[in-house]
Amino acid sequence: MKKVKKVSILLTATAMVGLLAACGSSTDGNKESGSPAASGTSSAAPEKLKKISLFQSKVEIAESLEALAKTYKKETGNDVEVWGSAGDAYATQLQAKLAAGEGPTIFSVATGAEADKFKSYYADLSGEPFAKDIAKDMALTDGGKVVGVPYGVEGFGLVYNKSLVDPKDVTDLASFTKTLEKVKADGKNGFSLSQEAYFLIGHIINTPFALQADPQDFIAKLNKGEVKMADTKEFQEFAKFMEAIKANSPNPMEVKYDTQMGDFATGKTAMVHQGNWSYGMLKDYGDLGFDVGMMGLPLAGNDKIAVGVASNWVVNGKADADQIKAAKGFLNWMLTSDSGKNAIVNEFKFIPAMTNIEAANLDPLSQTVYEATKNGQTIPWALNYFPQGIIVNDLAPATQAFFLDKKMTGEQFLKNLDAAWAKGAK
Amino acid sequence: MKTMSRTVGNVLLVLLSLAFLSPIYLMLVNSFKDRAELYRNALALPSSFSFQYYAKAMEKMGFLTAFGNSLFVTVISVVFVVVLASMTAWMLVRTDDRLSRIIFLVFVSTMLIPFQTLMMPLMQVMDWIRSNLHIPMLNTHGGLIYMNIGFHASMAVFLYHGFIKSVPVALEEAATLDGCSKFGVFWRIVFPMLKTISITVAILDVIAMWNDYLLPSLTLSDKGLRTIPLSTFYFFGEFTIQWNLAMAGLTLTIIPVVIFYVFAQKYIIKGIAAGAVK
Amino acid sequence: MSTRKRKDKAWYALFTMPLLLVFTTVVIIPFLIGIGYSFVRWDGIPANPKVFVGFGNYAELLNDDRFLTSAWHTIAFTVLALVLVNVLGLLFSLLVTAKLRVSNVARTMFFLPNLIGGLILGYIWQFVFTDAFKYIGQKTGLESVFFNWLIDPQFALLAMVVVFTWQMAGYTMIIYIAGIQGIPDELNEAARVDGANLWHRLTRIVFPLLMPSFTICLFLTLSGAFKIFDVNLSLTKGGPNNATEMFAMNIYNEIFGYGHYGLGQAKAIVFFVIVAAVTLTQVIITKKREVQY
Repeated sequence: MKKVKKVSILLTATAMVGLLAACGSSTDGNKESGSPAASGTSSAAPEKLKKISLFQSKVEIAESLEALAKTYKKETGNDVEVWGSAGDAYATQLQAKLAAGEGPTIFSVATGAEADKFKSYYADLSGEPFAKDIAKDMALTDGGKVVGVPYGVEGFGLVYNKSLVDPKDVTDLASFTKTLEKVKADGKNGFSLSQEAYFLIGHIINTPFALQADPQDFIAKLNKGEVKMADTKEFQEFAKFMEAIKANSPNPMEVKYDTQMGDFATGKTAMVHQGNWSYGMLKDYGDLGFDVGMMGLPLAGNDKIAVGVASNWVVNGKADADQIKAAKGFLNWMLTSDSGKNAIVNEFKFIPAMTNIEAANLDPLSQTVYEATKNGQTIPWALNYFPQGIIVNDLAPATQAFFLDKKMTGEQFLKNLDAAWAKGAK
Repeated sequence: MKTMSRTVGNVLLVLLSLAFLSPIYLMLVNSFKDRAELYRNALALPSSFSFQYYAKAMEKMGFLTAFGNSLFVTVISVVFVVVLASMTAWMLVRTDDRLSRIIFLVFVSTMLIPFQTLMMPLMQVMDWIRSNLHIPMLNTHGGLIYMNIGFHASMAVFLYHGFIKSVPVALEEAATLDGCSKFGVFWRIVFPMLKTISITVAILDVIAMWNDYLLPSLTLSDKGLRTIPLSTFYFFGEFTIQWNLAMAGLTLTIIPVVIFYVFAQKYIIKGIAAGAVK
Repeated sequence: MSTRKRKDKAWYALFTMPLLLVFTTVVIIPFLIGIGYSFVRWDGIPANPKVFVGFGNYAELLNDDRFLTSAWHTIAFTVLALVLVNVLGLLFSLLVTAKLRVSNVARTMFFLPNLIGGLILGYIWQFVFTDAFKYIGQKTGLESVFFNWLIDPQFALLAMVVVFTWQMAGYTMIIYIAGIQGIPDELNEAARVDGANLWHRLTRIVFPLLMPSFTICLFLTLSGAFKIFDVNLSLTKGGPNNATEMFAMNIYNEIFGYGHYGLGQAKAIVFFVIVAAVTLTQVIITKKREVQY
């Protein structure tokens, strides 16, 4: 009796294992074929291409993309299925879908650690017609090959209310602090950060990194523990800035991005550390009654805003050859046809990072970013080279501790940041 | 004196439930405000009750398609869970040997595994089934239903298991003597007696599956397949949320389950009663 | 006899195999694969290499202060939540079975929070803690109690408990109601005639007879609290300064934030073993007590 039971368990188990192992060696030829397709598809070719899928992280352009896919279908007869995902969840979903062999044909990756993470998937785009039109140093590359096309450029710095602040009064730590005190004396608030990890620390700490002679090299040394922020001049001044902010502005832990921009839009806050994307929020308040400008964070003599590429389009090199070909065809169409270029500028409202696309109808903040880019008056996004996840998981908690503990000095804060970095870079 | 304390009791209960519902109040009022109004005061009543954000949310979500998808996936999954879990639990209870006890313990203990740790391997297993058995598990409603059944099996078996113990065996034995097969015994005698617990399981699973975001977000990709929670993604931007549309979307999502629950309320109470008091 | 046995086996298989097959492919096999991954160093990208490290990940997690802290948070959270959810759920159930006029409406209202799922719940509660609490604090002068709980490490953890309780109390209430309705009225009446006061009737009659309901409610609350993730992510994101980072979130961050797949899985396994030991003990203990009555 007992034996029968055991045998039956064993049988069930074996059956299951056998079931699973039986065809374990056979692989799906389709999805494994990684050979790049014959490239150079002309966008105007009336050729029928295989249906492809597109997955990307910027929810704000989701509807415009769906509309663009319809236009594409009308003009070329080819299909693009646009998938959707909510903000934070994108990278995780992408990872899961790729693990399932259900990856999209075209997808987006954030420049830096995320682009690095997924790099085994990229198809070579060097030979595509649009590759030569990518603005200098803006392409996502891997070992000399172009593998990604930038969405566009974005910039951040001190966004200010022109009727409350004159940029001439904000040129260094002393004048920045003085401006904060002056605005505060008028019953308003001089400056505000907000609680979201990137707005709290990720963006503002970019400046001292970007001001290093070689930011990437500095980050590499920091990862290895060969240098310390606490021993570096620009960071020491950054800590003083943070002290001034803590002393003269509301606790960022109490400020959400929504309230930060609401206070700015209603004239209660004179300056915020934000990017050109924040104009989308200001627009919802109708006529502001003042002009908006953007300037660099005046740290260690800096007067430039930080400009970089946040996201890139890449083609999934593990898709089958026909799909890769179709994906390249779509990117060519989007980046070179009139309909595509129009959508990028007027619907997505991107500041183009392509030499063949003219910017148009830019809002004031994007205009500032665009001009700074053209004139080369920018500092880079060093934060793109930070170790994966470090801003959210390590730097933000350390910064929260700084703002919550009234007694913590900037010096102590820098030491904590160094410790957090050491942990996060492991 | 007695009526007095009754009144106080009633008033207290009303106050308590209102306090309990304050988050739902916030959800409702903020579905009528634009960003500037929300910023001015998140707590106040809206300046106007115009349903424009509801209309806009419905249009953006493709509400009817999404509703149809949610309904299809939820109903089919729940029917399978009820049928399969009741059959399994019945066998586990009636065959009281070590194997049954082990199976039961495995079911119960897997209720403790956080889904986040199963995600990646689950996707790989589904990929394996797709590549080797040529059954499309991903980006299909069928695949999602299959996974729904798997993930909700434990809880259903747990509840049925407790309930079946209180069903008298005598009836089943009599039926067996009359020449009924196990199949007949279960479907003619046992399952009808499980009605209340079945409805309980159905209600709990309907709520869980209807609201689920994570699993469908991993398995469904095409726009035409999206369930209601998936369709609300348009309102959750890279940096901020379109609060009015998100709140309106959430309200639209839960209205069907609220209606369903109000109708089924009397069963849920009877059902769990029966399950708890074995 | 033996054909009968064999036949029984066949029926057993027929009834249990369909669900077991689905359950095995969806839950068990992925879980086993997960155990396998806990022995490798890997970033979670299928195309990237997996390096076998033996028990390296397990050794590493013992030195991971943040993981150990998150374990402590989870335990504190679970204990608080377990008590509060069940006390409140029981209280609600006693209130709404007290035959008051508004009982039916109240019962619906207390259960309503269960119908709202997912991440957005945490966002709504952010409004409660940031806007509503501040407003109440300013109006009543009780600013030491009503302030933004989410920026204080201790209160943020309490905020998590409050939200979880809000969701789960109605759920357990329903189960307790069921239990209470199953208690014969005569028992209570007899006790009343004998001069037992309310407290005595509750502790001597009602609670002992509710043991089966306690088993179910405690298990459901415990497993829900240990696994909590959605509310954690949308309400506090683990902050301030990691003060509310729970087990599941720590594991999620390790796997998807840092890309340490193996280490994250090792944490998950350890987590599972501990929780399973605790909860199964709980189920066995309360089940034993049930038998006595």
